[in-house]
Amino acid sequence: MFKSPWVCSRCLIRTCRSGSRRTTRFHSSQSSTSSKAIYPALLTRARKIAAEYKTVSEQLLDDYDVNSAKKTGELAPVANALKRWEDANESRRELRALLDDPTTDSELRVLAAEDLDTSTQQLNEASQSLTKSLVPKNPSDDLPCLIEIRPGAGGGEATLFAEDLLGMYRAYCSERGLRTKILNLESVDSGGISEAILEVESPGAYGTLRCEAGVHRVQRVPATETKGRTHTSSAAVMVLPSFPSSQPDESLRIDVNDPNSDFFIDPKEVRLDVMRASGAGGQHVNKTESAVRLTHIPTSTVVAIQESRSQIANREKAWQVLRSRLAQVRKEAREEEMLKLRRSVVGVARIGRGDKIRTYNWGQQRITDHRSGMTVHGIEGILAGGANLEKLMVSVREWMVEREVEDMIVAAESA
Amino acid sequence: MPRLPRSLVAKAWRQDPLLPLLLRPCRDLGSARCELRWLKEHAAKVIKTASNKTHKSVLHQLCKQRARGKPLQYLIGSEYFGPIEIACRPGVLIPRPETAASVTYLIEQFCHKKSADLTENLKVLDLCSGTGCISLLFAHLFPFDQTKVSDLQVVGVDISKTALSLANLNRQKLMDLEPTTTSTSARRAEVEFILGDLRSDDSSRTGYSDLMEFLRLEGPVWDIIISNPPYISPKAFNTDTTRSVRNFEPRLALVPQISQQGLSDEEHGDVFYPQLLEIAEHVSSKILLMEVADMAQAERIAKVAKSWSKWDGVEIWCDEPAFDGHQKCSEVVEGVQVRGRGDGRSVFCWRGDAKIWLGK
Ligand SMILES: C[S@@+](CC[C@H](N)C(=O)[O-])C[C@H]1O[C@@H](n2cnc3c(N)ncnc32)[C@H](O)[C@@H]1O
Repeated sequence: MFKSPWVCSRCLIRTCRSGSRRTTRFHSSQSSTSSKAIYPALLTRARKIAAEYKTVSEQLLDDYDVNSAKKTGELAPVANALKRWEDANESRRELRALLDDPTTDSELRVLAAEDLDTSTQQLNEASQSLTKSLVPKNPSDDLPCLIEIRPGAGGGEATLFAEDLLGMYRAYCSERGLRTKILNLESVDSGGISEAILEVESPGAYGTLRCEAGVHRVQRVPATETKGRTHTSSAAVMVLPSFPSSQPDESLRIDVNDPNSDFFIDPKEVRLDVMRASGAGGQHVNKTESAVRLTHIPTSTVVAIQESRSQIANREKAWQVLRSRLAQVRKEAREEEMLKLRRSVVGVARIGRGDKIRTYNWGQQRITDHRSGMTVHGIEGILAGGANLEKLMVSVREWMVEREVEDMIVAAESA
Repeated sequence: MPRLPRSLVAKAWRQDPLLPLLLRPCRDLGSARCELRWLKEHAAKVIKTASNKTHKSVLHQLCKQRARGKPLQYLIGSEYFGPIEIACRPGVLIPRPETAASVTYLIEQFCHKKSADLTENLKVLDLCSGTGCISLLFAHLFPFDQTKVSDLQVVGVDISKTALSLANLNRQKLMDLEPTTTSTSARRAEVEFILGDLRSDDSSRTGYSDLMEFLRLEGPVWDIIISNPPYISPKAFNTDTTRSVRNFEPRLALVPQISQQGLSDEEHGDVFYPQLLEIAEHVSSKILLMEVADMAQAERIAKVAKSWSKWDGVEIWCDEPAFDGHQKCSEVVEGVQVRGRGDGRSVFCWRGDAKIWLGK
C-alpha cells in the first residue's frame, strides 16, 4: 500500500510544516533540481474536481440552479488552484527544455537558469495551495461556538488563571465585534472560577476559535507565595460548535431532530431536573431558583445552567450546551479512528484536548504555543485579547491546516 | 430560622460586601450570587431611567430590602411564568413555577391527534386570577394550529382590585402590544379580567350572584376551568410558609377569607374547592384543573370530586406532571391516578367531550 508515495507524502508534509518561513532556505539548499511534485493521488482528485467544475459551470450557463451554483462555488477554489499549478508546471517544463537543449545560447541559458529558480518556487507554492484547497472544509467552521473554561491542576492559582482566560476571550471577542454571552459562570469562594461557559454567537466563531481548545499552562508567582517561587498551574479550554435554537441564518440551521446529525439527542435519554430545594412548594414559598440541570443518561453528561431568572431560558441554554458537548464527543470518536490510521502511517500524534497547547510565563512575559512553536511577548496584551493573541491564533490555524493536509494524504493513501 | 454560620458570612463578604445581605433570605451562597447578579442588572436598568441616583446607592437599597425578606420579584417587578414575563407588584401573589408547569402540561394534553375535535369557540375560566398569569400563559401556549379552535376566550376572575389592575397591565403588555403571533390571523385569543367573588357562604356577599349571572350570559357553557385559589389553612400559614411569603405577599391570596364558624383548620384550607366544583356544574365545564397545597389536600379534594360522580375521570398531578418516571401512574385513592413527580400539586377532572380532546 505504501510504496513510492510514502516518500513523496513525507516530503510534502515537510514542505507544509516548514511553511513560508522556511521555504526559501529549503529551496536554495535543494536548488532547482528536485521538483515539488504534488502527491499523485491528490492530483488525480484535483483533476476530477476540476472536470466536474467545468461540467457544472457549463450546465449553469444553460440552466441556472441554486444548488449547482452553490456547488461551483465550492469546487472553484480547487479548479483555480489546479490551473495555477498546471501553469507553473508548464512554464517550468519549458525552461527545463530550454536548459536541456544544447543549442540554447549562453545568454539565454543564464536567464533561463534564473527563471527556473523563481518558477520552481512558484510551483512549490502552487502545490501547497492546491493541496490545501483539497482539504475538505469543516462544516462546523461557520457556526457560532461555546468556550468552556475550567481550572486544571494548581488549586487556587488555576481558578484565577481560568478567570484570566475568560477575560482574555471576552476581550478578544469584543475587540473583533464578536457577540458573546455568558451561559454559566461559577465563581469560587476563594477567588477565580470553577467553570465558565461563554457563548460566541457570531457565525464563524467556531472556525476562528477552535484553535484555542486544549490545556493552557501558566507559570507565575502566586500573590500568596512568600518565598517568590514560581508555580505552574493550568486551565482547560474546550471549544464546541454550537447552534442556538433560533438560528436566523438559514444556511447555518442544523436540524437537531435529524437522527443522523451529530447534534441529535433522543429526548428520552435526557433527564431534566429543576433545582428546587425540598420542602413545601406552591404558595408556601416564593423561591427564585431557576436553575436547570440536564443529564444525558447513556453518557452521564451533566449540564447545569442558572444564568437567567427564566427557567425556560435556562433549559434552552442547557440543551444547547448538551448538544454541543455530545456532538463533540461524537466527532472526536470519528477523529480517533482517523488518528489511529494516521499514527500507523506517519507516526505523529495529534495534540488532543488533554495535551498542553500553550504556556503563559509571567516572569518572562512570554507566551509560547506548543503546536505552531510561535512565541510572543507581553502578558497584558495577550490577556486583553490584543494583536499578539491574534498572531498566535493565526499561526495555530495554519498549523491545523497542515495537520489536516496530513490527514488527507493518509486518507488518500489508505483509500 | 437557624443563624447563618459566621464563616459563610465572612466568605460571602470577601466576595462582595453586599452578598451577606442576600445570604439572609437565600441561605446559600450560590443563590445569593445569582440574586446579586440579577439585582445588579436591574439596578443598571433603573438608573438609566431615573438619573441623579448612583448605581451603588440603588443597588444597596435593593439588597437591604431583600435582606428584610422582600421578594426579589417585587423588587425587580416581574417573574417568569413559563416563557412569558409577568409583571409583579406588592399586594398581588407572585406566580409560582409549579402553576406554570400544570398549565403547560394541560396544554400539552391538547397537542394530541384527536384534539382537532376541540370546539371552534373554546371558553376558559381562570378563577382567582391574581396577576393573570394562568390566563395569559394559556392563551400564549394554546396550539391553534393543531386544533380547529378559531376563537379562544379566556376570562380571569378575582376579588382584588389591585390584582385586577395588574392583570390588565399584564394583558396589555403581552397581548395588546404584541398581537398573537399565531399562524392564521383568523384564529385569535381574547383575554379579559373581571372583578368577582367566588364565595357564596355569606348572603352579604353579592359578588357571587353577579358573577354567576355574568357567566350565564356570556356562556352559558365554559369548557375549561383552571383555578389556583387560596388553599393554605390558618395554621399552615403560620408554620409552613416562609417569612418572605408571610410578611410580604397578600394573605387574601393565600388563606381563604371566610365568615363561617366552626370549621376545622383543614376544612378552612379546603373551603374553595366545593365552590369550584359547584361552579363547574353551573357552567357545564368539561375540564376542571385546581391547584392544591400538597398530596394530602390533593387526596382529600380528589375524593370529594370523585364522590360527586359527575366526572369521568379524576387525576392528581404533581409538581412536575410531565415527568415520565417509573411512578408515572400510581393510584392513591380508588380510581385516582397520580402523574409526574414531586408533591401533589393539582387535581384534574374531566368528562364528556374532554375525553376526545384529551385522547383518553
Ligand atoms: C393564590 S392566588 C392565585 C393568583 C394567580 N392565579 C396565580 O396562580 O398566581 C389567589 C387569588 O384569589 C383571589 N381571591 C381570594 N378570595 C377570592 C374570592 N372570594 N373570589 C375571587 N377571588 C378571590 C386573590 O385576590 C388572589 O389573587
